[in-house]
Amino acid sequence: MSALALAEVSLALGSFTLGEISFTLEGPEILVVLGPNGAGKSVLLETIAGFHRPACGRIIIGDRDVTALPPERRRVGFLVQNFGLFPHLTIVQNVALAARGASSDGAAPAIGELLARFGIAHLAEASPLVLSPGEKQRVALARAQACRPDVFLLDEPFAALDAPARDELRLELLRFLRAARIPALFVTHDHTDVAALGDRVAIMREGRILQLAASSEVFHRPLSRTVAEIVGIENILAGRITSRDPRGLRVAVGGQIFWAVGDGPGGSEVDLAVRADAIRLVATDDSAVAAENRIPATVVALHNLGVLTKVTLDAGIRLIACLMTRDAAELGLAPGAAIVALIRAADVHPLVP
Amino acid sequence: MTVAARPWAAGVRGGSPAVLLVAWLCGGLLLAFILLPLIQLFAVQTGGSMLQVARQADVRDALALSVGASLLTAFVAGLFGVPLAYLLARVNFRGRTAVAAAIDLPLTVPHTVAGIALLMVFGRHGVLGEPLETLFGLRFWGTLAGIVVAMLFVSVPYTVNAARIAFEAVDPRLEMVARTLGMGPLQALWRVTLPLAWRGIATGLTLTFARSISEFGAVVILVYYPMTAPVQIYEMFLNYGLESASAAAALLLLVSLVLFIAFRHFAYGRRLIAGSGR
Repeated sequence: MSALALAEVSLALGSFTLGEISFTLEGPEILVVLGPNGAGKSVLLETIAGFHRPACGRIIIGDRDVTALPPERRRVGFLVQNFGLFPHLTIVQNVALAARGASSDGAAPAIGELLARFGIAHLAEASPLVLSPGEKQRVALARAQACRPDVFLLDEPFAALDAPARDELRLELLRFLRAARIPALFVTHDHTDVAALGDRVAIMREGRILQLAASSEVFHRPLSRTVAEIVGIENILAGRITSRDPRGLRVAVGGQIFWAVGDGPGGSEVDLAVRADAIRLVATDDSAVAAENRIPATVVALHNLGVLTKVTLDAGIRLIACLMTRDAAELGLAPGAAIVALIRAADVHPLVP
Repeated sequence: MTVAARPWAAGVRGGSPAVLLVAWLCGGLLLAFILLPLIQLFAVQTGGSMLQVARQADVRDALALSVGASLLTAFVAGLFGVPLAYLLARVNFRGRTAVAAAIDLPLTVPHTVAGIALLMVFGRHGVLGEPLETLFGLRFWGTLAGIVVAMLFVSVPYTVNAARIAFEAVDPRLEMVARTLGMGPLQALWRVTLPLAWRGIATGLTLTFARSISEFGAVVILVYYPMTAPVQIYEMFLNYGLESASAAAALLLLVSLVLFIAFRHFAYGRRLIAGSGR
């Protein structure tokens, strides 16, 4: 069983530090690492690949402790932005060069077979410069596979692609990783990668993992304000707990009272995270929709994103809701319109200060 | 069509035709300024005069020495300059900009000054010249070694700079990917980074060679004999006048041009003119 485990890996690189990174990936699991630029995501991958020596901690790949091994002996598949094909070599030479390195332990599969398996046999003599992104990804995977990696490290391979190409390549990559049953670490700053790829997601900032959990958990119940900001939660409201009872917390935010599901001492400051898509908009307050929070508001602005529309609301506090553009039209939303925002208490998530 | 009516602006998007016309006029004058003296040098030759000067043993020896010394200089420049260029491109060490500036220094030193400075180091009583002769019998005055030292000093910046730019253009992540594909650090350098930087390195070596074969000032001060071609031409000019010197000059020009074009051809594949796309 392939696995990747990091145990309290720390590293100092100039003024940058990677702090006590620990996690374990089992079997074919994909862990997405999400964080802003400069969070140390690439440094983390490069450390696992063997390009930086950790100050302390251990790195286990498969069943081998690779902490002291150089990159060429760690058996990691490394996919970088634009896929890192060698432009001076043909496709078959790219793959053969990798297989040469692996052939010393007799594990390299036949190159022709490998090209056929990835559907790139017809490109054998082509230059990487003329390939489409999809073809490049297949060549990069075939080339990495020639070395029989125990783990895949993917460093924003889709960063330079447009959205439709990204969706297609992501599906293909997912299919490959699942079939190969190899654990993978996928670094990105794009939220859509998280939902589409990740079994679990690690939120990283300033060299530390702030939260590591199932992606739905991180998106709906972020641990802290920082995590909520990184995963792009639109409404983060500063408030004060006024009372608590079995139904939840009453939190005063601006002039409004919010019901939230969570825990916290009365009288203390708390931040509430509310996803834009958890806010339901209705023209008049009919009790047909169950929601503990029913907030009258005025539409300030509409931001049409195509299928979705973001609506900025003024309810004494500023709220951002997100709904289908079609529904927005049916509601007759326009700046200045009076509206009621419905939010279930379960969707109001108090953040740990 | 406006494009057909203004051929000087053909194939260009944007840019005012008037500006382009002025640019063409300035560029054309500059080109004529460079080419005219060179063409004139060949035009005044009677054909027989170049052949006659080519038959002189001292001229042939001087040409062979110039070519040989310049090739050797380019080789030494590559041997020491390419590793330094790699360091400058890849390692963010303390004092990197100071090192890069020091490498450019020879470009700003007048070549007679370079010759005198080299004489003080590599000359008979120089700080290196004297111990090197005592210890290894290596002499720099009146020898090929001296000519190479003089040429190297004035021409090595071209190799270091071109190679540094070439290395900087190679994505360091390609080398990382190569390592994860089972290649050791030297193998990754040899199979990925060097081939990708090769064109730039070859351009640098070609420029170093060209600069070396044309060097006069530093060579004539550090090493008068044996005479390289430029020194020989200078001597002919002083002793026999313009006519015989010009024949030898045309011959040197011919040899330099043929070699220069051959090297560029080697570096750029079939393309003779640099920069016309990749």
